[in-house]
Amino acid sequence: MGRYRLLEHTADIGLEAWGESREELFIQAALALREVIFGQVAVRETRPLELTLSGGDDAELLVNWLGELLFHFECRHLVPAGFILEFSGGELRARVQGEDFDPARHPVEREVKAVTHHQVLVEQTAQGWHGRVYLDL
Amino acid sequence: MSVKIEQIDACRWRIPREGDMRTEGLVFADRAMIEVLQKEQALEQVRNVATLPGIVGRSIAMPDIHWGYGFPIGGVAAFDPDEGGVVSPGGVGYDINCGVRLLRSDLDASEARPRLKELADALFRNVPSGVGSHRRDLKLSLPEERKVLKEGARWAVRNGFGRAEDLEHIEEGGALPEADPEAVSERALERGRDQLGTLGSGNHFLEVQIVEEIQDAQAAATLGLFAGQITVSIHTGSRGLGYQVCDDSIRVMLRAAAKYGIALPDRQLCCAPLTSPEGRQYLAAMAGAANFAFANRQLITHWVRETFEQVLGRGPAQLRMGLIYDVCHNIAKWERHEVGGRARRLCVHRKGATRAFPPRHPETPALYRDIGQPVLIPGDMGRYSYVLVGTPAAFGETFGSTCHGAGRVLSRHAAKKQARGQNTEAELAARGILVRAANRATVAEEIPEAYKDVREVVGIVAQAGIGRIVARLRPLAVIKG
Repeated sequence: MGRYRLLEHTADIGLEAWGESREELFIQAALALREVIFGQVAVRETRPLELTLSGGDDAELLVNWLGELLFHFECRHLVPAGFILEFSGGELRARVQGEDFDPARHPVEREVKAVTHHQVLVEQTAQGWHGRVYLDL
Repeated sequence: MSVKIEQIDACRWRIPREGDMRTEGLVFADRAMIEVLQKEQALEQVRNVATLPGIVGRSIAMPDIHWGYGFPIGGVAAFDPDEGGVVSPGGVGYDINCGVRLLRSDLDASEARPRLKELADALFRNVPSGVGSHRRDLKLSLPEERKVLKEGARWAVRNGFGRAEDLEHIEEGGALPEADPEAVSERALERGRDQLGTLGSGNHFLEVQIVEEIQDAQAAATLGLFAGQITVSIHTGSRGLGYQVCDDSIRVMLRAAAKYGIALPDRQLCCAPLTSPEGRQYLAAMAGAANFAFANRQLITHWVRETFEQVLGRGPAQLRMGLIYDVCHNIAKWERHEVGGRARRLCVHRKGATRAFPPRHPETPALYRDIGQPVLIPGDMGRYSYVLVGTPAAFGETFGSTCHGAGRVLSRHAAKKQARGQNTEAELAARGILVRAANRATVAEEIPEAYKDVREVVGIVAQAGIGRIVARLRPLAVIKG
């Protein structure tokens, strides 16, 4: 089972996520990012988005993945809910389901400026996959 | 990890050169601040910056230093292109040209107080704040957005948002000349399009203030400040456009650092030589984002003036809301400094630091030639902010730089926890400070206790002689995103 938690940082906020697979880790990180922005919120799956992303390594890919979701929220007003992920070679293919941003249903708690490379980590351990990333608020 | 640090005097500390460091670190702080800093990674970051190629002088940290990404917040470092010097997006930060400007007025606080609530409500309505909000009467086409990147605050003034004399009182005249809109990605342009003229959220704010105390009467008179006067501060930056420029550039710089054989103690310090195509591209894009931020603050200024005129029923000639100055907090700039007995053209990175040029410097505005460049230091929403001026000592020791704010001490989680059970807005209102915010979560995370007392930070700056205090301002109404 995947899970995540938010990390303390004096000025900003971090997130740490776990998953039995790399896909699950990336999904948990996306849910953590959503919680940073909206808090606990119910989101319907009414709008699809397909993405293909690349990165020099898993850590860079994690930053790019979360950065992409942030962009699609800010510019295309998509609040994500469901995810199907697939890694192939150095690429990540994602099918995201979500709904149009509605401030009444998804009140924004914080603005995330960016997903940083500061101490970013993706590792496979005996227990599964573990990742960490810090957000600039 | 504890960093080796030696005390120089009551407010200066040296991080001696060791390992891969190319120069030593210089930290402005008192003993209590150093003890706190040892518990986080900010001092390590000062040391990391000292390892970068072509660094000139010392890796400097201001008393509002705290843990950032790559460079610490409160960091200053200069690089020489002729010595392999680099430019690093992490040395500027995500919010390129986040900065602050201060408007004066001819109003005494007693004239504004009866209408303060109305003023706060109207400012909150007229200046978009919070995620997703923007003015419906400002539609920016792509060609027009590119002009904003090129012309900065000049674009705003040319389009009726402000006055020509405003430009004389903005750092760099409101536009960095190196800006090249073609260096900015489509994605950054898309992220910025709806966000010009918006405050944003987090620590950004718009504040109606009273001049509470004058410490330097002559400088205050030159700046047009008097005790009891109403002023307005605007603190915001380049919004999504700047964040995206930084994000795009970091991807390029991660590869560039490897390409040019630059060893990085931290990925977020990724950089490229100033003379490389990647370095030039970043500087051109960064300047575009900086100009977007200058235009952003200029538009907000215009709506602040309009709001005061509407609510108070007075014309511009009666209110005389002039721009005192506009300074950048997050920027890398070409400047001339004398180092090692010779004048050199350096790229000075200021990340959470403010330019503080001395009296008679050619870039200090003509009106302020005798007192030095104004330096604006916001505090938190419950206490006070400061106006300082630059000094010759700062020019000699810190590449003409000083601190930029109070600096956080509590994480957002800790601040929220502390705010639980208290009604921050009601408590501030009882102390005569009205808060209007897009959401309560922001107010909880931005409680005054989340920040250092800016009086202590500014005290170190004044004691070290890298800034001279002119006036202290107290908030009356705060607009938060």
